[in-house]
Amino acid sequence: MRTTRRKLLAGAGAIGATAYLSKYGIRGAKAQEPVRIGGQGALSGAHADYGRQIQMGATLAIEEINEQGGILGRPVELNFLDEELRPDVATRNARVQVDDWGADFLVGVDSSGSALAMGPVLAELDRICVFTHAGTHRLTEELVAGQGIQQIFRASAPVYQESILAAHLFAQREDITRWANIGADYEYGHANWALFKQTLQQLRPDVEFVAEAWAPFHTIDFSGHVSSVLAANPHAVYSTPWGGEAVSLLRSALVMGAFNQLEAWWQAMGASVDVLEGISGQIDQFNGKLWATGRYIFNWSEEETRDLNAAFNAAFQERWGRFPNYSAECTYSAVYSLKQAAEAAGSTDTAEVIEAMEGMSVKTPAGVRNYRAEDHQAVYTVPAGRVAKLDDYPMPVVGEDLFIEDPKEYYRWPPFEALEY
Amino acid sequence: MEIYLYQGLIGLTYSMYLWLLAAGLSIAFGVLGILNFSHGALFMLGAYLAFTFYGVLGLNFWLAVLLSALSVAVLGAVLERFFLRQIYNLDLPFQLLLTFGFVLVFDDLVKMAWGGMFMIPPMPPFLSGSVPIFGRPFPMYNLFILFVGVAVAVGIWLLFDKTWWGRKVRAAAWNREMGGMLGLNVPGLYMVVFMLAAGLAALGGALSIPMRPVTPGLGTAMIIQAFIVAVIGGLGNLRGAFVGAIVVGMLTVYSTMLFPLFELFLPYVVMAAVLLLRPQGLLGGR
Repeated sequence: MRTTRRKLLAGAGAIGATAYLSKYGIRGAKAQEPVRIGGQGALSGAHADYGRQIQMGATLAIEEINEQGGILGRPVELNFLDEELRPDVATRNARVQVDDWGADFLVGVDSSGSALAMGPVLAELDRICVFTHAGTHRLTEELVAGQGIQQIFRASAPVYQESILAAHLFAQREDITRWANIGADYEYGHANWALFKQTLQQLRPDVEFVAEAWAPFHTIDFSGHVSSVLAANPHAVYSTPWGGEAVSLLRSALVMGAFNQLEAWWQAMGASVDVLEGISGQIDQFNGKLWATGRYIFNWSEEETRDLNAAFNAAFQERWGRFPNYSAECTYSAVYSLKQAAEAAGSTDTAEVIEAMEGMSVKTPAGVRNYRAEDHQAVYTVPAGRVAKLDDYPMPVVGEDLFIEDPKEYYRWPPFEALEY
Repeated sequence: MEIYLYQGLIGLTYSMYLWLLAAGLSIAFGVLGILNFSHGALFMLGAYLAFTFYGVLGLNFWLAVLLSALSVAVLGAVLERFFLRQIYNLDLPFQLLLTFGFVLVFDDLVKMAWGGMFMIPPMPPFLSGSVPIFGRPFPMYNLFILFVGVAVAVGIWLLFDKTWWGRKVRAAAWNREMGGMLGLNVPGLYMVVFMLAAGLAALGGALSIPMRPVTPGLGTAMIIQAFIVAVIGGLGNLRGAFVGAIVVGMLTVYSTMLFPLFELFLPYVVMAAVLLLRPQGLLGGR
């Protein structure tokens, strides 16, 4: 048979029509177009558990929501990528998820550097990203309140949680007047130490800051950091490395006698489940001097949401066989926040959802979250406290001498003053 | 004064870590002429295997370290026999491509086998104590690493400089064809040398597990440091690697203490200076 030009064209037309129908017609008739959520977090390396927990939290929320009929009656789909703690990778992921995959919303992101880099890209793509771990105050203070990038929201507590709250907690300790810092040598750690120093100095002019050591991502050995700050004879150490690096650092500190020499050790995000699991075997050797907080701790929620938290804990453990870390809870709550906002707006349109979400209040496992209109930061309470082994849990938890403050006290409020560091 | 001496001793421990890693890298380059990018991945595999033997199967720590080094040495034999042997005569970029390919393969295999989550076993009890040195508790674990580093240095020196086998290896490294004509089993020697290099990488990884979480990609952070050490000391020169490790270790811990914001930067500056002023490395020029 001879193939004529006309037949070829007719064939091509038929294929095109079928493709068109399957994309917009036939499939659309069978099922509603899904709501697509693009997630990302660190999935490899010493911080891999945070990304994994973000993925677990998002997956659980989406499974529950789909069982209840989806968002606006539409099924929800998740696409999840590794951000590798690298700003270039994180922005590329966002572009791929929105442009190629058609994401309606984005969630997640572990690194503060990655989050800051994504800001302008979100404005360009005009998609909302609800950040669920990256902690730098600049994300909401500068990019949202300052530059007006409305597409940024944050469900997780920012660095106020571990720096200002810690300063309030330790301002009460008359016995501690010499502080040293082992800082994460990137945006997160520097912002943390600056806020802590600024707050504590105002409350306690007698306190001195005697030594600093900085550890970048992928630090191989922390013993040099520990020994150099201990040499300055501090009373307490303020420490911001996280994940596996926090475990490694705490092990070095233990064998170098830090918990005999010091009065207290503040492990900023020490309430993270991976850190608690990692130090579980040595908990007795900390002599009750290890203090920490998190962006959520699974063993505490405010009165109003206590049952919700218990249900979330049970569902999470049944689904994943682990305790939920804060990055999981924050992402779980971010997905529910998006659902509530989209349904209030009656649409998944970016501008309409932003409007619905500003000032919105959501009941979540951690507590009631209020998204501040000025900077899109969720405001909610998480306690700080002493890390201890309690009978109810297989690993240590932030469970003794809980220090609970109203976020009105320890969040920064607009208008924001830029912080020098 | 004592605080600086103490810090120096901590730095020496870090140097010995770097030395264990750079030793294998230098042996592979010095003898086989292979710039082995996957050396860090072999370090990582050593750590994972030791974690499995010690932390999961509950074997004795020493046995776990030994088994892990031997297993990776056997893997090294396979890599040498079936892959590296094919590319000895090709240009350097082919070696880099192949060995970098190994890095990606091993990273993903490790993720499949052990998952992406970091793991850290309990500290072996005999390594968890400390002894007072310069008025402060110095960790037993660090002392132990110091001891192993020096022991490996002496062992390698004896092996290459004082044994008949070492003499044959040096002959083969000097001139591969001539060695073969004189009746040396050059391919066999090369395989054993690469096994030794791989085993050393794994030894470093295995010994690191009481203090450092085991994660995929662990090798990437390590290999960069090892390359800095090797370049400063002179690529392929074992004594140079030892000196380079001490230089980088000391620079790192003293800058952590004295110039905390330049900790990252100083080893690179020194590497750049060495490359500019003495490109063959401090002890290079073989």
